[in-house]
Amino acid sequence: MSAAYDFIVIGGGHNGLTSAAWLAKAGRKVLLVERRATLGGVAATEELIPGFRFNVGASDAGMLLPQVIDSLELEHHGLEFIENPVAAFDPITGLTIWRDAEKTQQELSKFSAKDANTWPEYVNQSGRFADILTQMASLAPPALKGSPTNLLLAWARLALRLRALGGKEPSPAIRGQFKSSMMEFLRVLPMSAYQFLNERFESNALKGMLASVALTGLDQGPRAAGTAFMLLYHQLGRRSDGFRSTRVARGGVGELIEALAEAAMDAGAEIRTDSGVSAILAESGRVRGVRLNSGDEIRANTILSSADPRTTFLDLLGAPQLTPLTSRRIRNIKLRGTTASIHLALNGLPDFPSAGGDTQRLTAAIVICPSMDYAEHAHDDAKYGRISEHPIIEARIPSLHDSSLAPVGQHTMSIIFRFAPYRLRANDWDSERERLGDIALDTLSKFSPNLRSLIADRRIITPLDYEREYGLAEGSIHQGQMSLDQLHLMRPVPGFVAYRSPIDGLYLCGAGAHPGGGVTGAPGLNAAMQALREMR
Amino acid sequence: MNYDAIVIGGGHNGLVNAAYLARSGLSVLVLEQRHVLGGATVTEEIFPGFKFTVFSYVVSLLRPEIIRELELPRHGLTILPLESTITPLPNGDYIYRGSDPHETFRNIQRFSPRDAEAYREYGHTMYQMAKAVKYILGIRPPDPTSLHPRELLALLKLGKHFLSIGEDNLYTLVKLMTMSSAEFLEEWFETDPLIATMSASGIIGTFLGPRSPGSAYVLLHHYMGEIDGVFRAWGFAKGGTGAISEAIANSGRELGAEIRTEAKVAKVLMRGDRATGVVLESGEEIQARLVISSLDPKLTFLKLIDPSQLPDDLVRIVRNFETQGSSGKVNLALDAAPDLSCWPGDGPHLRGAISVSPSVDYIERAYDEAKYGQFSRRPYIDAIIPSMIDPGMAPPGKHVMSCFVQYAPYKVHKYTSRQANKEEPAAENWDGQREAFGDAVVDTLSEYIPNLKKIILHRQVLSPRDIEEKIGMTGGNIFQGELSLSQLFFLRPAPGYAQYRTPIQGYYQCGSATHPGGGITGAPGRLAAMEILRDLRK
Repeated sequence: MSAAYDFIVIGGGHNGLTSAAWLAKAGRKVLLVERRATLGGVAATEELIPGFRFNVGASDAGMLLPQVIDSLELEHHGLEFIENPVAAFDPITGLTIWRDAEKTQQELSKFSAKDANTWPEYVNQSGRFADILTQMASLAPPALKGSPTNLLLAWARLALRLRALGGKEPSPAIRGQFKSSMMEFLRVLPMSAYQFLNERFESNALKGMLASVALTGLDQGPRAAGTAFMLLYHQLGRRSDGFRSTRVARGGVGELIEALAEAAMDAGAEIRTDSGVSAILAESGRVRGVRLNSGDEIRANTILSSADPRTTFLDLLGAPQLTPLTSRRIRNIKLRGTTASIHLALNGLPDFPSAGGDTQRLTAAIVICPSMDYAEHAHDDAKYGRISEHPIIEARIPSLHDSSLAPVGQHTMSIIFRFAPYRLRANDWDSERERLGDIALDTLSKFSPNLRSLIADRRIITPLDYEREYGLAEGSIHQGQMSLDQLHLMRPVPGFVAYRSPIDGLYLCGAGAHPGGGVTGAPGLNAAMQALREMR
Repeated sequence: MNYDAIVIGGGHNGLVNAAYLARSGLSVLVLEQRHVLGGATVTEEIFPGFKFTVFSYVVSLLRPEIIRELELPRHGLTILPLESTITPLPNGDYIYRGSDPHETFRNIQRFSPRDAEAYREYGHTMYQMAKAVKYILGIRPPDPTSLHPRELLALLKLGKHFLSIGEDNLYTLVKLMTMSSAEFLEEWFETDPLIATMSASGIIGTFLGPRSPGSAYVLLHHYMGEIDGVFRAWGFAKGGTGAISEAIANSGRELGAEIRTEAKVAKVLMRGDRATGVVLESGEEIQARLVISSLDPKLTFLKLIDPSQLPDDLVRIVRNFETQGSSGKVNLALDAAPDLSCWPGDGPHLRGAISVSPSVDYIERAYDEAKYGQFSRRPYIDAIIPSMIDPGMAPPGKHVMSCFVQYAPYKVHKYTSRQANKEEPAAENWDGQREAFGDAVVDTLSEYIPNLKKIILHRQVLSPRDIEEKIGMTGGNIFQGELSLSQLFFLRPAPGYAQYRTPIQGYYQCGSATHPGGGITGAPGRLAAMEILRDLRK
């Protein structure tokens, strides 16, 4: 039987769609299959409560790489970004981080003159480091096997590119940093957010707020080495002004998915929803196609899977196709979901007295993480298999940007809850789900007295739900936590190079591959380019 | 008198550095502030008849080339093997890992046959890893930002070395560099107490928990020991660790080095941008062409010289250099031999280490307390009974016991329940808590050694603050600075200054805060000497 498609892409999340769109644009025959009825995976905007639409996982698309937007002409396909002038708001103290560094300085001066002074330099430095990471995001890590000369060359090339980046335009503001900012970069990468931020700031409110970002998707506290890297990673994409990018897709992150799907279909890709894959078919070390849950088999010589590596290789492909060492390495991937979300249908806009009536502040990420020790304590609970009693909260009210998300006069709020460990020691998630919602609301209500009275309905997505409903093994939103040992050449597992796998023609194109999670489109784009180059 | 070189600090690294410089014909003077040599590598008779290895207590990392080149055995160094590690468990059982691999295998097999097999394989892998890293311990770190041919060549050689160890070994090495010790071990073993007691060697001396990324590397650091060519064997120096310092000092003296104790250096003398000697606290000035500091970087760069003479970036990084100590020491003088309830009476287990590390959570909880500024109520303890190995350490029939304890943070505050929103604990003097800490250690040990309280004659309790006060190490950090990834290799102590030089002409560093770091290795002292001699030949 001849192959009906050049490429089959498994999974219609933003990375799968990026791969499909790019391959279709290159003139190839592409089929994308999605298990659920809606596209987007955890980057979807869904009507969880009748009349109310929510971003079920990813809350914005600000990390999306410019080359993804440009090469797929997403703006032409309806993607529109709003540059929100405000990034983060702390409802405890009222501290707000604005895109405008001067405005942030004014805020910070109420907490610490020193921090206010340091802020512009920090924005500058972290922006430069994030630029380097953005460049690295599109460079596949070289292999460690092959001829020594080639290897040395490949690694030297990477080192030189990084070196050139570090040496470029050393701005006067950070010239005092070191001989070369590259050295400081190398020093910072393996650091903890705790050390990184303590070296720079003194205000607990600011440090807590910044550290909260670093812990996204991690089963780690701010004292863990490598969390400084994550702090910078979340500034990937276009300028993020010291926190996370403040760009929001108009209409929710789901609009990005629609634009991607449109780009893919316009280019001729076929997209099938309600088409879960039950197996990846392979013969003598080569991929042959997929079998759907319906029993249908579809042939293709190249398959890109945006499912997480454990699901892809152990569930869909099957361990017998792999060497024992490879299966062991895949089993050893630390997935460890720790993120839950709570979605509220609100009868009105909640009042946060600390915002002083300034509704604009409420368009930011509303972050409860008053200090780095608060975050550390929150993780202590997770370490021993418990839900954080005093969680890190990141709440958003997307309906403030886009009134179409809720009926007139009403609002939606989505709350990200950290830490909610996938493996609970004493209970199970089905019995803890509502308690988690209560903890989140207790925490937020302290700073928004009328919040509870406005709630018309709520939905809670636990790590277990992210696994069951969205297919993320262990509810790991990054498809493998982005700890130092699972980055770069160690991602997805040691020995897998350039999105390839031990099975010829089978590629990984999701967050489980380099550079990792977040709505960047990088794994999807990089894998598609690699697969096309090596197409048979 | 005018010297070629003055070495500040008579710890083992300062002494090694001086001995190597003297060996090359330089006139060298070592200045030590205390009345005894050795710094943290010292044996002292704290109570009459009882000799304590007051600070460091075991040896395995001392570089064999130093033992050979300085002829340390001829100068009195004898290393006696530590036979085993016993980990008593709360249920009355124990894990025993001894010098006989079959016995260890059988012991672990009681818990898990799979782990017993994995233990062998693990040992083999760690041997490979230690061999791969040994090369790095023996070289001066290159400067990756420099385009100097020497640096590029060194980087190339380093690259070749890494590639030569093979792909799978390289991946394991990256894991070791980035993972937590418990998680690394969990990829091999399933028995929690075994993982716990093994992971403990990853946290010794660091302010990390067994689940903190970066602690797996320290695991390797402690595996790199090499005594008589046998990897990972720990030993005890006859006469205590002080005997190591004495042997190095004797070797140095024979090679012509002069050593003065009770001579505390106040400042390094400068002319223009050159170091020209030192002034002692007594006011005495001594001139030299070279000044080498074996002290930690905070003292070397911020105290001994005026930091305004240094680049701002270096000062910033040195100020931020993590030197908060995390370990304490409790030294006991005992009237009789301790008796373990899990293994009563005499036995080889008493001539090895007794490790209180019953579960990963136990150690992690001990770390949790320290994170927020309290000493661990139920600490991790690594105890040895030196007098069992070397009877000369205590009067006949009596014993000394050395207990290394974690965690004891440098800054402590009074015990309160969880403080959700308090960042920096009010620095409180250890004076109010030292004995409570000692009690926590003795109480914890007594759970496994029921006769302990009855046989204690004297006890000495040392907090990191005491370590700082007694021997000067800032923060009481036993490695002169955390062995964290951002403080290792070409980043130790600061990027651009990891080659033992300083921005001041004629002023060098040779302590544990330089590559390859802490432990009784002597390597920083030796590598610094090589670099100094190289500069002199120019």
